[in-house]
Amino acid sequence: MKRQDYRLWDLPTRLFHWSLALAVAAASVSGQLGGGLMSWHGRIGLLIVGLVAFRLAWGLVGSTYARFRQFFPTPGAVRAYLRGDWRGEGHNPVAALSVLGLLGLLAAQVASGLFSNDDIAFTGPLYDLAGKALSNRLTAVHHLLSKVLYLLVALHLGAIAFYGLVRGQNLLRPMLTGRKDGQGEPAQGGGIMALAVALAVAAMAVHGAGGGWMRPPPAPPPAASTPDF
Amino acid sequence: MKSKLLLATVALIALAGTASAQIKPEDAIKWRQSGYGFMAWNMARIKASVEGTYNKEEVVKAANAIQAIANSGMGALYLPGTDTGTGWEKTRAKPEIWTEKEKIGKAAMAFNKEANEMAKVAATGDTAAAKEQFGKLAATCKGCHDDFKIKQ
Repeated sequence: MKRQDYRLWDLPTRLFHWSLALAVAAASVSGQLGGGLMSWHGRIGLLIVGLVAFRLAWGLVGSTYARFRQFFPTPGAVRAYLRGDWRGEGHNPVAALSVLGLLGLLAAQVASGLFSNDDIAFTGPLYDLAGKALSNRLTAVHHLLSKVLYLLVALHLGAIAFYGLVRGQNLLRPMLTGRKDGQGEPAQGGGIMALAVALAVAAMAVHGAGGGWMRPPPAPPPAASTPDF
Repeated sequence: MKSKLLLATVALIALAGTASAQIKPEDAIKWRQSGYGFMAWNMARIKASVEGTYNKEEVVKAANAIQAIANSGMGALYLPGTDTGTGWEKTRAKPEIWTEKEKIGKAAMAFNKEANEMAKVAATGDTAAAKEQFGKLAATCKGCHDDFKIKQ
């Protein structure tokens, strides 16, 4: 019996996707509420650094449909898709724009967050590299980008609803099960070695973003060296 | 003679009164910024304690300092027209501070309340309670920054 579906999204891609969705939601809530949640906001931000770095690496070494080369949206491909002439599997050229847009925006968002401060008690792990004035600018960028991010997430969810309701394409199932109805070529590659490489890239990114390569801060002066009042 | 003395006294009081009321805008902005800057140091001290090794004495000192500033009536430094101007640096006060009086009043009251509570909790030395209260206090700072402070 011939299978009626094929392997589209590999497991690491799916785990990445759902982890990212949860992490972005958690980062948004903790950032909005602030207060005692700011330390969690920072931790979640570092998690997102890791997830984005993983996805960038996985776009090079992952399985077929996860690769950037597979879905890179050239202007020609986008035009063909909009004309209705595009035939392919995986991310279509417009969806690919959304994927790259979201990844790029999230990268900018975590990058600005790493240098940010909230004028209360929070400083990003790389704050010292920026200094107060630049940090303030980057914090404003961080706030601004959060609003752009909401727009892109809304667009992402809207597109899924559109394809489901109007085009009769269930995009949710493949992202859950990894399998898609049809006769497409099953995804190849993205084995255990590739996974190890991508995870290593992610770990290094988190380490660096967390200030792991910064010079350790100077030790506080011994109590006796400051006046006793 | 008596009336002359009275007049002089009244004049002196009036003079003293105007002297204390006449804060220069530039000074007002400076003192505002100094107050927040000094609180930032004390917030960092509490943070270091609740996220690292807890030092009760440090937390008490810092919480008392924040409480004192919170109860100092800093609203008096928000002179009309000081939404622009430069103290130690350009002010980041939004004009809404002077127009949305009720809203900012609430935000300020919330801050006062949590600052007082922070000092109380610090005195008990209960580390878990101090951590929680620190979060609440920080949230009241945000309550004002979100609406009344310019993001650069």
